[in-house]
Amino acid sequence: MNDQHTAKAFDIDLQDIARMVAEMGGLAEKQVADSVDALAKRDTTLAQRVTAADSAIDALQREIEEKSVLTIARRQPMAVDLRDIVGALRLANDIERIGDLAKNIAKRVIALNAEFPPPKLIRGVEHMTDLVLEQLKAVLDAYARRDDNKAMAVWRGDEEIDAVCTSVFRELLTYMMEDPRNITCCIHLMFCAKNIERMGDHATNIAETVHYIIDGNPITERRPKGDTTTIPALTGA
Amino acid sequence: MNSMVQVKQSDAEGAAPGLGVKPKVIARDVNVFYGDKHALKGVNLDVPARAVTALIGPSGCGKSTFLRCINRMNDTIPICRVTGKIEIDERDIYDPTLDVVQLRARVGMVFQKPNPFPKSIYENVAYGPRIHGFAKTKAELDEIVAGSLRKAGLFEEVKDRLQESGTGLSGGQQQRLCIARAIAVNPEVILMDEPCSALDPIATAKIEELMDELRENFTIIIVTHSMQQAARVSERTAFFHLGYLVEEGRTEEMFTKPKDQRTQDYITGRFG
Amino acid sequence: MVYLYLAGLFVLVAVGYLFGRARAKAAADTEALHSRPPYHGAFVGLSIIAPMLLLLVIGLPIADRMIVNQALQTFDPTVMSDDLRRGVALRDITALATGKYTGEPTLALRQAADTYASLRAWTYNLILAGGLVVGLLGAAFGFRSLSASFRARNHVERAVKILLLAAASVAVLTTIGIVFSVLFETVRFFERVSPFEFLFGLQWSPQTAIRADQAGSSGAFGIVPLVTGTLLITGIAILIAGPIGLFAAIYMAEYATPRFRAFAKPILEILAGIPTVVLGFFAALTLAPIIRETGESMGLNVASESALAAGIVMGMMIIPFVSSLSDDVINAVPQSLRDGSYAMGATRSETVKKVILPAAFSGIVSAMMLAISRAVGETMIVVMAAGLAGNLTFNPLAAVTTFTVQIKTILVGDQEFDSAKTLAAFALGFVLFFFTLTLNIIAMQIVKRYREQYD
Ligand SMILES: Nc1ncnc2c1ncn2[C@@H]1O[C@H](COP(=O)(O)OP(=O)(O)OP(=O)(O)O)[C@@H](O)[C@H]1O
Ligand SMILES: [Mg+2]
Repeated sequence: MNDQHTAKAFDIDLQDIARMVAEMGGLAEKQVADSVDALAKRDTTLAQRVTAADSAIDALQREIEEKSVLTIARRQPMAVDLRDIVGALRLANDIERIGDLAKNIAKRVIALNAEFPPPKLIRGVEHMTDLVLEQLKAVLDAYARRDDNKAMAVWRGDEEIDAVCTSVFRELLTYMMEDPRNITCCIHLMFCAKNIERMGDHATNIAETVHYIIDGNPITERRPKGDTTTIPALTGA
Repeated sequence: MNSMVQVKQSDAEGAAPGLGVKPKVIARDVNVFYGDKHALKGVNLDVPARAVTALIGPSGCGKSTFLRCINRMNDTIPICRVTGKIEIDERDIYDPTLDVVQLRARVGMVFQKPNPFPKSIYENVAYGPRIHGFAKTKAELDEIVAGSLRKAGLFEEVKDRLQESGTGLSGGQQQRLCIARAIAVNPEVILMDEPCSALDPIATAKIEELMDELRENFTIIIVTHSMQQAARVSERTAFFHLGYLVEEGRTEEMFTKPKDQRTQDYITGRFG
Repeated sequence: MVYLYLAGLFVLVAVGYLFGRARAKAAADTEALHSRPPYHGAFVGLSIIAPMLLLLVIGLPIADRMIVNQALQTFDPTVMSDDLRRGVALRDITALATGKYTGEPTLALRQAADTYASLRAWTYNLILAGGLVVGLLGAAFGFRSLSASFRARNHVERAVKILLLAAASVAVLTTIGIVFSVLFETVRFFERVSPFEFLFGLQWSPQTAIRADQAGSSGAFGIVPLVTGTLLITGIAILIAGPIGLFAAIYMAEYATPRFRAFAKPILEILAGIPTVVLGFFAALTLAPIIRETGESMGLNVASESALAAGIVMGMMIIPFVSSLSDDVINAVPQSLRDGSYAMGATRSETVKKVILPAAFSGIVSAMMLAISRAVGETMIVVMAAGLAGNLTFNPLAAVTTFTVQIKTILVGDQEFDSAKTLAAFALGFVLFFFTLTLNIIAMQIVKRYREQYD
């Protein structure tokens, strides 16, 4: 958006919305990192802090929604502006969901209450988290710079996370079969892994939205799928 | 009726509505000069039948000029010269053997400012049928007048005062009277030059509603400065800029993902 | 004297204005002014002008009257009762006082002239002095009123309003004055001739004898022949000018190219500028003989001065009125109406007939009415082409006469100003006035009824 609107206030409105989305994205990244950190370090205080901090993300989402609705009502945006605002609404939604998922992980950390699975297993989850955080960072960057290629790269990159997720599931399954006492903590861990995998999906959603904002068309190519956990892992392992 | 269904169907398929069949109006390389001023430059446009086509663009870009080419209203301007070709139903309207009077009976026009004649409401609507001799008896004429007023959504409001002056109506009513006047001769194409620019939102909504009904039977071309209006009422939109037709396409696409940067800048309000 | 007074007034006002303004400007440095400095200046100026003019307008006539009375008193008190002798005496006195008297003045006259001169000098000086005093008082008042919060602008606005009102009243009062003076003379006329005979009498020959013993001493004052004559000539004129003028206007406004229009319109307007005397002798010397010859060749009996000739030429005279005014009103019909009509597929003549003329109807009617008023009031052409004979006829080939012609005939030459004949002119004038007034009222009603509001 090199050119400016004739109505300067419109530019400011759009910038405000984009800034809030970016801020929300930053918060969500931190939440994700912190929640997995709490898991790895068995740090319930940190987990508690993550649970508490989620409301900030929710508040930001509400603010973005309000601002967007107001801007639509006031400026009747068209074309790229319209996509911008609708995109921001969708981004906020996805980011809020990511925040929720992080909060869910933090809650599980608290629920585990010292019954932690061995670090070997957690490492797999941590690896997934790194990948997801990378994706998230990249896609938020793509949004901030309106970089369609980068967004598309994120969209295609989800495959790897799915693959890692599948292998984590297998490991957890074997571990649970080894000793039924591990089941509780493994189930929790499994949900954490699933949460992180969902975060990756939201990052892909965000990538799709960013592409729509920039290009105006939804992505038409088929996405490569790496997640085979759903059925085969459970039945075939 | 069924044309409406067709439009809806083709809409769903994502094809240009009405364009699957033959276009109603075809403009090819149309140039208009006012004296030395080159007001319209090589315009090519296909207008689908029984659909609303919106012409948008900044002031002075030639929208009205193009509109006035379609019923040859430019003939009334001595310094105006038109080159190129405009066909309606594959008949060249600038053909010297074509009778302008008949052309204008087929191509009605509604103007920016309501311009009812200083006559009664009845006489305003009866004007066209009278000069073209459409009604043989008074009863027939009455029927045409009532029918046109009804189609224009004005009948209920004025049925008790048909003999009162048309200039005594409110602005929105006057504009609907002008629409009734235009459709009284049962034209095939209706040209509207900013028909709502002098009206309040409710009158505007009534006229938009009216256009929605009229599109079943008429081919409508509307010039508007309201992007929202174009988006609301039209199937296709054409963007004019500095005398050029810059971009033309399905309204949904024009307003969500225009291809040309100038269109983008115009509809998002980025022209300084 | 008056010039001196006015010069003094001017100087005082200029000085007052400058001082007032300067003072306000000075005050503006410390306080916010309600009105801008020029208004303060103007206020001071006004408070000087008002009393000084008042003194002049009231004082001067009073003083003059006093002086004259005093002088006449000295001359011969008996002249006061006789208008004629009084006038003669006054002329002599003023002539002697200003040194223009020729011949040897009598002693009484010389004394009167001396009284006149000295009184005059004295009172005039008094007025001058008085003017200076009230002017200065006014200035003082104006200055004292000034302050930062003083609403000078409002006062000046009010003064402007009063000035404009005065101008408007002059026009209205003049009209009323004329009407009344004519009315009074008319009433005097009706003391001699009964209104019934005047309005319904079929004979018009006002040649009442100036001397009682003259032959044919009883005049006949029935205006019916004049009414028919006027109507006949006006009718012919409007029959000619109406269509021609209107069609010309339509052509000019709707059909002509701008170039033709630019060239033809001024020419048409030149026609309006031809003096009516010229048109009159054109009618009498060129047209009337043609009409007579043509008529006689067809075996008709044509008078050498005919209503037809006068009517035709009068019609020519008013063509430019009709066409020019109609052209204006047709041009005032908004273009949007034409566009609307053309867009319906109407041709040019359909548009003219069905849209333009109805829209311009009220304007065209008022143009016609104006032209008729002009025709009714026209004298010269009729005098020269239609004759003086008060024939009661509707035959356009006969000689007829009109109101205006009769008024003119009656008042030309030496007249006794209270004979029935002379007074008849006033009665005629009154009827004429009434006639055109009625015409105007009708026109106004039509205009009001059919006026379309365009913005
Ligand atoms: N009668 C005329 N004589 C000379 N030039 C004209 C005439 N009508 C239009 N033009 C010129 O042609 C150009 C296009 O005018 P047109 O009326 O088509 O603009 P428009 O797009 O309808 O603008 P708007 O939105 O203001 O109605 C303008 O530059 C205008 O100055
Ligand atoms: Mg226009």
